[in-house]
Amino acid sequence: MTSKFNKVVELSKKIAQALLNDESPKSLESSDLFNQSDKDYILDQLTNEESIKERIELANTINETADWKSLKTKIDVPVRKLYWKYAAAASVLILVSLTIFLNKENSIQLDESIITNINIEPGTDKATLTLDDGSQIALEKGESLQTQNANSNGEEIIYKANQSNTKEVAYNYLTIPRGGQFFIKLSDGTQVWLNSESKLKYPINFISGKTREVELVYGEAYFDVSHSTYHNGDKFKVINKNQEIEVLGTEFNVKAYKEENNISTTLVQGKVTVSNAFYKQDLVPNQQAKIDLTTNRMIVNTVDIYDEISWKNGIFSFKGKSLKDIMKVISRWYDIDVVFENKELESITFKGVLGKDQNMEEILLTIKTLSIIKNYEINNKTIILK
Amino acid sequence: MYRLTLKEYKDLFNKLYTSLCLFANKYLEDIEVSKDIVQDVFIKIWVNKIEFQNENNIKSYLYTSVKNKSLDYLKSKRVKTTDHLPTLEIEKIETEAYFLREVVVVETSTIIEEAINTLPDRCAQVIRLSIKEFTNSQIAEELSISINTVKAQKKIAYRKLRPLLKDYFILIAFIFD
Repeated sequence: MTSKFNKVVELSKKIAQALLNDESPKSLESSDLFNQSDKDYILDQLTNEESIKERIELANTINETADWKSLKTKIDVPVRKLYWKYAAAASVLILVSLTIFLNKENSIQLDESIITNINIEPGTDKATLTLDDGSQIALEKGESLQTQNANSNGEEIIYKANQSNTKEVAYNYLTIPRGGQFFIKLSDGTQVWLNSESKLKYPINFISGKTREVELVYGEAYFDVSHSTYHNGDKFKVINKNQEIEVLGTEFNVKAYKEENNISTTLVQGKVTVSNAFYKQDLVPNQQAKIDLTTNRMIVNTVDIYDEISWKNGIFSFKGKSLKDIMKVISRWYDIDVVFENKELESITFKGVLGKDQNMEEILLTIKTLSIIKNYEINNKTIILK
Repeated sequence: MYRLTLKEYKDLFNKLYTSLCLFANKYLEDIEVSKDIVQDVFIKIWVNKIEFQNENNIKSYLYTSVKNKSLDYLKSKRVKTTDHLPTLEIEKIETEAYFLREVVVVETSTIIEEAINTLPDRCAQVIRLSIKEFTNSQIAEELSISINTVKAQKKIAYRKLRPLLKDYFILIAFIFD
């Protein structure tokens, strides 16, 4: 019953969405929950003028405020002890699951969580800058830096516009640790947002008349490339040991994490060409090219851009992602290790939005309250999910 | 398991009371009795300190309880008076299919109402007619506006509704509000 109930709640959302968008409600037509006459009845109730009018008139006879007042006198509210942990959970607005695909019929008691030592903070703006002579400078909030070519306030680094007649190419590296993120503006005006555990190699100045090349050594980056027309037609390339992206001027996201078995390039605007040794593919906006690094095959899909680039906008948005994938993203940002004591949890999928400034314990408490996990343990920087 | 705070309990009431009354009325065809039954169900949650697992779990509990209480009421009334539903009718409304289809109707119409209420007046008028399966030209005629205006208003509505529908989970998230 519960599972069918959840299905009809989901179905209702889809029907509402279709009708509001002036589309025929395909999810109702194809539903196996109802026979044809019930389907006809539902659609008629929702679209027939008389039925709608009747329902609205009936709803107007209900005085919610007055009825709440009379109800309140009947429940005689006692002073309740508010458990702090529930209060904490209640303050977490963000991690919300619309579709908890998990559907446990049996109730689960919330066990106490074991917390040995909390030493977990959300990530911050920080990076290590490696200059062409190999020297390294730590960039973090409150530490400003001025070099001949660049300025940094510790939260971002801005390279000065190309000086004329550069012939020599000198490279800098920006390395973002786990628990970090950083913004860089290159000397050609191209803007790059770097996610945790990423490394970018780029020239201090680009040579006029040559393709502008940077290398995403590993990790994830969002590029907003300054258009070729501002650079006498010089193209822009993002290189990685496994693929190349060629662009004119556009916005896209590249994900090439060390421990992951694939690279994804997601196009937000404009046009790019992604290639590896075997394939070459043009992308249009909303498309994602994914290269499987064991087979070198490239697959192109249409994806939800909002989810893919949410990290850049201060949130993590997941739709139908597995807990394992979600925890991978979280572990990079909070610089933690996650252990699944119960392996079955890894493949649970759900939807959620998470603020990047959120407290780790709040997140765990929320997914525990939602019965997605039974319990968790925090020991220093390791989280164990049970 | 989770027990609601008073604020959450109130939010839950505000969110679902009207829908549940309309739903009960599908069994009872008497809106006053419907209101009493829905209030009884709400009172029971608080007084008996009933605990829930998650949002869907609460909804499922509420709809099921309202249905059961409504059917109980109909049956007891049948015993007491001669004014009652024929047996066939009772058998029909006792089925799971009847329950589920009425849940879909009330849930869907609530989402649609809430969504339309966020739109500017003209947009809302256009969308209301569009849901009633009016064509663009019929809408234009009904509202005495041009077809292009209808199209433009629809575009505005879709743009405004997109984030709302996309993130509809915000509306269901009252528990963690």
